[in-house]
Amino acid sequence: MKSLKISWIVLSMLVVASLLITACGAPATAKSPAATEAPAVTEAPAATEAPAATEAPAATSAPVATTGNLVMLDWSGYELPEFWKQFATQYPDVKVDYSFLAESAEAYAKIQSGFEADLVHPCSNYWKIMVDENLVQPIDTSKLSHWKDVNPDLAKQGEFNGKQYWAPWDWGFESILVRKDLVKTVPTSWADLWNPEYKGHIALYDSGESAHVITALALGLDPWNTTPEQDDQIKQKLLELMPNVLTIWSSQSDLDQLIASGDVWVAASAWNASYIKLLGDGVDVTYIDPTEGRAGYLCGFAIPTNSKNYDLALAMIDAYLAPDSQAYLANEYGYGIVNNAALSLVDPKKAEQLSLNDQNVISRTIFYKSINADQRQSWTDMWSEVKTSN
Amino acid sequence: MENRSRFTTLIMPPAIYLFLLFLLPLGVMLVFSFRAGTTGAAHNIFTLNNYRAFLENSSFQRLLWRSAGISFTISIISIILAYPIAYYLAFRAGVNKSILMTLIIVPTWTSYLLRIFAWKLMLGSTGVLNSILLSTGIIEQASPILIYSRTAVVVTLIYVWVPFVMLPIFSSLERIDRNLLEAAADLGCASWESFLRVTLPLSMPGVVAGFFFAFIPTLGEFVTPLLVGGAQGSMYGNLIQDQFMRALNWPMGSVMSLAMLAVVFILMFLLTRLGPLSELLEL
Repeated sequence: MKSLKISWIVLSMLVVASLLITACGAPATAKSPAATEAPAVTEAPAATEAPAATEAPAATSAPVATTGNLVMLDWSGYELPEFWKQFATQYPDVKVDYSFLAESAEAYAKIQSGFEADLVHPCSNYWKIMVDENLVQPIDTSKLSHWKDVNPDLAKQGEFNGKQYWAPWDWGFESILVRKDLVKTVPTSWADLWNPEYKGHIALYDSGESAHVITALALGLDPWNTTPEQDDQIKQKLLELMPNVLTIWSSQSDLDQLIASGDVWVAASAWNASYIKLLGDGVDVTYIDPTEGRAGYLCGFAIPTNSKNYDLALAMIDAYLAPDSQAYLANEYGYGIVNNAALSLVDPKKAEQLSLNDQNVISRTIFYKSINADQRQSWTDMWSEVKTSN
Repeated sequence: MENRSRFTTLIMPPAIYLFLLFLLPLGVMLVFSFRAGTTGAAHNIFTLNNYRAFLENSSFQRLLWRSAGISFTISIISIILAYPIAYYLAFRAGVNKSILMTLIIVPTWTSYLLRIFAWKLMLGSTGVLNSILLSTGIIEQASPILIYSRTAVVVTLIYVWVPFVMLPIFSSLERIDRNLLEAAADLGCASWESFLRVTLPLSMPGVVAGFFFAFIPTLGEFVTPLLVGGAQGSMYGNLIQDQFMRALNWPMGSVMSLAMLAVVFILMFLLTRLGPLSELLEL
């Protein structure tokens, strides 16, 4: 009887101890619930040191390996086989392993610290730093059958030093998402965020970069060329906004829930994927095209310098760029796409909602630019200060 | 001799584990805190600038103290809430002890995030509390004001940590020799007196352990403040995350993490001064 009691207590203690461990691990999984442990990467040990860029031309004539595995460092959600049907048909014996990202910075940090991936998928504000630090290698676009259909303006953003390092794949807006049924006046510009009518019902995105960009736009400044005085002006303007801000959102599911519950009426820097999702759920939302312009993000693939599967990686990029994959991205996820040939496969209603049917949509969108270390630091510090102002 | 080698064999796995997963990363962080940059040439420059920048940055320090204050509040309230539970379990629950213990632990079987989301459901503007207040006419308009605040962070974290604070208190109460209480009664102590003079002092090691069980993890918290803290609820952990993930300034992030560690150490030092350290170790 006594021993039974003790074993019960020991058991409960063990459960608590293990929960303690998992609770401590929770922050890592918080951002992307689907993220799992990085798959163990076991590669052929030979020929690791030679830079793949020099191997690439030789590999043109050599047959591409049809077995082995390909390691993707990607966002969760993009691992669905619908996105790489073409690759699965071409290389049925290649095993595709996914390791998941929660932030672009993670892509940089992982590759930088030696993680061996064959494709990596951060957004464009991390493209330049990865090229500058020689973490990724140029893409031989002549081997991509779908490259000719890729929007040239978007492709241009992946070009550095005259070489194509990044294959753009997905993009979207960062704009103002509004609960039409709860506000009296629907905002029409970034500057309208400061309207006291929305006090206590505004959500801002938890990113110094995004906060800097939208405030600069509201003030009529060029976000990527601000003087120190203008930086100060931006900080003051944000400090004025903070008392009206209800909360800071950090992930799409977080924001979707905030808006659906009615706690948040006006969400800044919201993604179009949120808009499509909430419309689908029957929430009365509208997505603003602010007079200053919508901000936009662009993400895409590159092949890390230490990849040993250059040709397989190219084939994978081509599969992701294929019209069926791109149309799936727009139809199911509500993201902007880069392959013009895929537009006819997109549900016309979705294309309308995403403004994909607008010829000038790319040139009208203010895409995030590469930022330097000083900007990254100063905007982060500014944001830390604003968030902790009282 | 044989005993000794057996001891070495047994101690090796946890020692290696602690070294690789705890001391080594801490060392890496310490090295990083002296670097001029995360990567590139600056990576190899040794500098004290990060420490200077930290000392000059008032918002970092202000938030560190504020977070320490929040964690302190959480720990103290958790102890106050957990102590009666532990006391009941140890002295009054009798045969139901294990069942009650399990019941207390059951909520922790669900995901941490899920439990935080549950608080959003309860406190949000369409939540349970708002609905009750609305239907009883106490308030006229549903308001999300109950959540998205520093108070919401405190409430949520207390809820999360009470069971963990309860456990060490419970185990220290269990260890109290019941004869001592009898003796106190024989010598004419009223029950409250024997509690204050016997039970409480003897359970202090558990209380101190419980304090740190809640204080240390909540000081570095960044998920709960993100989800329920609102615009003003950021804690120190959020700023550390920003330095690592947004500014890519790992050296600064390391300095900030070490500063947090220093706060914990100082507090631990002060608290263990209250009673002999050996008493704690006996736990």
